[in-house]
Amino acid sequence: MTNYGLVIDQERCIGCQACAVSCKQENNVPMGQFWNRVLTEGGDKLDTPAGGYPEDGDDGTLDMHYQPTACQHCENAPCVKVCPVNATYTRDDGIVEIDYDKCIGCRYCMAACPYNARVFNWDEPEHVPEEGTGDVEARPQGVVEKCTFCSHRVDEGLDPACVVNCPADARIFGDLDEETSTVSKYVNNYETDRLLEDRGTDPKTYYIRGEMSPGRPQTSDKLESELDDDAMPGVPAAKSGGDD
Amino acid sequence: MGDSEDVGRRDVLKAGGAAAALGLGGGGYLNALASGGDGASTATGLESFVGQNEVTQTVCSPNCRGKCPIDVHVRDGQIKKIEPHPPEDEQYKRACVLGLSHTQRVYDPTRLKYPMKRADWSPDEPNPTGRGPEAEFERISWDEALDLVADKMQSLKSEYGAESVLFHEGSGNYGQTGKSFKRLASLFGATQSAWGIDTNVGKGFNRITGHGAFLPPTNESEDWENANTIIVWGSDIFSSQFQMDASKVLDAVENGAKLVVVDPVYTTTASKADLWLPVKPGKDVYLILAMMHTVFEEETYDTDFLRSRTTAPALVRTDTGELLRAADVSVDGRDDQVVAIEDGEPVALEPETEGDYALFGEYTVDGVECVTSLTKLRDHAADHAPAAVAEKTGVDADNIRTAARWLATRGPGGIASSYALGRYTHGHIFGQAYAIMLAMTGDYGNHGNIHAHHPGGTTLAAGDWAAPSDVDPGPSLIFPEYPDAMIDGDPHEIRAVYSIESNMMGNQFPDRQRYQNAIENLEMYVVADMHHTDTVQQADIVLPVPHWFEQEDIISGWGSHPHLGYRHRVQEPLWETRDDYEAIRGLAERLGFGDRFPETKREMLRELASRDDAIDFETLYEQGTQRKETTPVVKYTDEFPTETGRIELYDDDAPSEEGVSFELPRPLEDRTADDHEQADEYPLMFMQKHSRFRIHSQYEMVNWSREINPEPQLDIHPRDAKARGIEDDEYVRVYNDRGEMVVKAKYNEAFQPGLVNTDQGWWARDFVEGHLNDLTHNETSDVGRCMAFYDVRVAVEPAPEDVDTSMYTEGNPKGSGAATPHTGGD
Ligand code: SF4
Ligand code: SF4
Ligand code: SF4
Repeated sequence: MTNYGLVIDQERCIGCQACAVSCKQENNVPMGQFWNRVLTEGGDKLDTPAGGYPEDGDDGTLDMHYQPTACQHCENAPCVKVCPVNATYTRDDGIVEIDYDKCIGCRYCMAACPYNARVFNWDEPEHVPEEGTGDVEARPQGVVEKCTFCSHRVDEGLDPACVVNCPADARIFGDLDEETSTVSKYVNNYETDRLLEDRGTDPKTYYIRGEMSPGRPQTSDKLESELDDDAMPGVPAAKSGGDD
Repeated sequence: MGDSEDVGRRDVLKAGGAAAALGLGGGGYLNALASGGDGASTATGLESFVGQNEVTQTVCSPNCRGKCPIDVHVRDGQIKKIEPHPPEDEQYKRACVLGLSHTQRVYDPTRLKYPMKRADWSPDEPNPTGRGPEAEFERISWDEALDLVADKMQSLKSEYGAESVLFHEGSGNYGQTGKSFKRLASLFGATQSAWGIDTNVGKGFNRITGHGAFLPPTNESEDWENANTIIVWGSDIFSSQFQMDASKVLDAVENGAKLVVVDPVYTTTASKADLWLPVKPGKDVYLILAMMHTVFEEETYDTDFLRSRTTAPALVRTDTGELLRAADVSVDGRDDQVVAIEDGEPVALEPETEGDYALFGEYTVDGVECVTSLTKLRDHAADHAPAAVAEKTGVDADNIRTAARWLATRGPGGIASSYALGRYTHGHIFGQAYAIMLAMTGDYGNHGNIHAHHPGGTTLAAGDWAAPSDVDPGPSLIFPEYPDAMIDGDPHEIRAVYSIESNMMGNQFPDRQRYQNAIENLEMYVVADMHHTDTVQQADIVLPVPHWFEQEDIISGWGSHPHLGYRHRVQEPLWETRDDYEAIRGLAERLGFGDRFPETKREMLRELASRDDAIDFETLYEQGTQRKETTPVVKYTDEFPTETGRIELYDDDAPSEEGVSFELPRPLEDRTADDHEQADEYPLMFMQKHSRFRIHSQYEMVNWSREINPEPQLDIHPRDAKARGIEDDEYVRVYNDRGEMVVKAKYNEAFQPGLVNTDQGWWARDFVEGHLNDLTHNETSDVGRCMAFYDVRVAVEPAPEDVDTSMYTEGNPKGSGAATPHTGGD
């Protein structure tokens, strides 16, 4: 079976917002809404660190990382469970998706999602330019929407837009059930975290922290499974996970 | 990472708020995606358009380090999205958040549509005081606009001379239009603009190595992964300069390179560093001298390199402080050659020779007492030991030693020095200093060497086309000289300006009030632009330029990557916009030079391309990009273009400033000096960092970026803010003896106490009051002749109670297409 997942290497991520904006562009996300937000793990605000500036020549305690955060495509998704009309469902390939024709706008899913991954179209959605952008139809007023792992692209053999447009090669998409996929290798060989693991949601988005990975050099917009093997980066064989 | 509160707290973006290309045999640049394409509904109930777009390959090209080849997707006659297009050499695939958002820029309401004339301007009664925020414009025809401009140029030429017309070219685009602009300026005899921004560091570096104009050449980015130590000095390369190519630097780090960041700010780049040196503004020369001292003390300098490729062994006369010349003594060789000691005997120093020259010591040659250049440098550095400069620079002595040790002992590496260093008045001294530091460590000419915070890239070599050899061009003025020329006629009068590719009055020039006063002396101000910028608002004649996607051009990869790119037209020019080339050619015709300009831009591009043997027009056109194989990946492999053919460690012909002479890099500070006369009145240094959300003032209007970064802010350390009674997110007045601005305070622990910042690139409409360039000044150093934007002092206080901040505080956003919901962000 295919089970799509995403690895984000936070050691590589430079917080450039290209994934956040290209997500909006590709998916025709209304103004004022984000499916994918590049959060700063540090101070209270965007692009600010935690800790204190060095004093008297010491090293200080400043620390900052970026945490791009979208729907985590949970294996055990609370949003799926609470939807009274089965509008939110899990596809066979593991992508959690919304059937917008079924969504009644009750927003139970928004309350259930611990990642604040969902947005609701309270008003008539606004787009700039007005005609909309990207390769998927806009959603109407009154429905909930969120990241789809760009299922409309994945269905055509293409990587999600955020992955293709990351200039740091920090985002790696692929099949977690395929042992030789880069996502599987990285999950096995690098220290990874998932957000709020204690909630039992079993997210399929993994964050690398600690040792930097080689990422996923992008010279094509195709899914890894559509590429020749030698087009993919080598993962150092001797890496053992969890020791740093 | 952890609990839900954290996710909530970090939730900075709370959800829930508010043509077809020209054919040339159907080249490969136009490629509808092959897959999909049936417009099928997905299981989401929505229609997918994958595969239905017409895709045109073109190039994005502001003055960033991208020059990114991109694909533009069009459907139903509308641009729908942008994606990077891997160039001929795929490893240079690149783009940033800005290039990806042209979808919004193309259709933005700030786009100029028609030629215009200031309503109260006429050639005979220019009414210069009518310029400014209140100026009104009326639509005119292209013919009328070009007639007015050409006639006025002619009459000024007969009254004051052709040089009274200034052709000002900015850096807003990297196509070939500038060459036609210069060509017309040369033929007419107009004054031409010469660069006065970001040339500081390169000048110092050039004096020592013979290389460098802006920043010196550095290895192409594909080579950076070979670096073992990368010292990024004064640059947030992951937010600006290298974000589109970040993977290359990250790959170096992943390969085990040590990343050192020298910066007063804990930037995104600093957050990735193995070692961060939080230097105080303006103290960089002290710091690098201390690093040199470490290398001397630990004897980790590269003896072979110093002997073969530098003047380290060259003797300096003790009596005069000048280099000993072969002619001064009885040494075989050319008269002007410098002299070294080999096996106890004086010999003339040839370029690139590997003699066993003495690097240190005192010698007497024919009765003349001398010491080696390297001895002089060692003694100079000894005055700046790490422990001695630690307090002054704010950097721990052990950390200074560690950085120097890594650079000297870990194999090839380098210093990615920055334009920011040159934004301090005497920044050229750092250029001199780090050229020498890298000579000590032998970091020239190898894989893995780095000399600047952006790669060299490549350009189209078009010979003398821009400045035809059969005409005498007019004089040139560097930017900071403009006001004196306009106001006092010094060195000559300027009565009109024709400006292209530049928001000079809005972002690129400091001391806004002074420049506004200066242009009051102009009888005609012609501005060509894509958008209604602050500079356009000051114009008398406005020439509307099409968006890049509506132009055809050859884009240079200068400072970026080793390709040229072909800018294919994605759609016809909107409204009555016209390519600058057409305007320039139209003027040339009216001025009697029509026959010197090919009829169409395409013909010009062909002609220019034919002058460059390394590329071929058809290939470039068809492929969209062509790697210029003559561009070396590794720089500095040949003899240095200096008098000696070597890096000249000791410059006996050195300039001086304020009584300090620069034979060796001697620290000299302007407003950053601790005892500067304004230190009490204006205690804070003021920087205007480049952000990831704008390239200079371009992309200011992009709605997507402004959701994340909605308004100008003042980054300030909480301690500095609290000492002034300033709350987080409170509006503050930032002022000095030139002017003021009102922006929102942002508590930011990343900023060194004593240093504040507002990211550059905002337009006047974005400020609650004033503008950041009301605070900056136009003074330059004698050597640098370069605008010193960061060498500025300010004071900060809470904004007066009655300041009207409703544009941001009442969900009433002013600015970019006022409909923009600025709901997100911080
Ligand atoms: S992140 Fe939220 S929306 Fe996405 S699957 Fe998990 S619970 Fe559902
Ligand atoms: S595009 Fe890549 S580097 Fe940029 S914010 Fe997203 S994950 Fe980070
Ligand atoms: S703005 Fe510069 S870096 Fe960004 S896409 Fe355009 S050319 Fe590339």
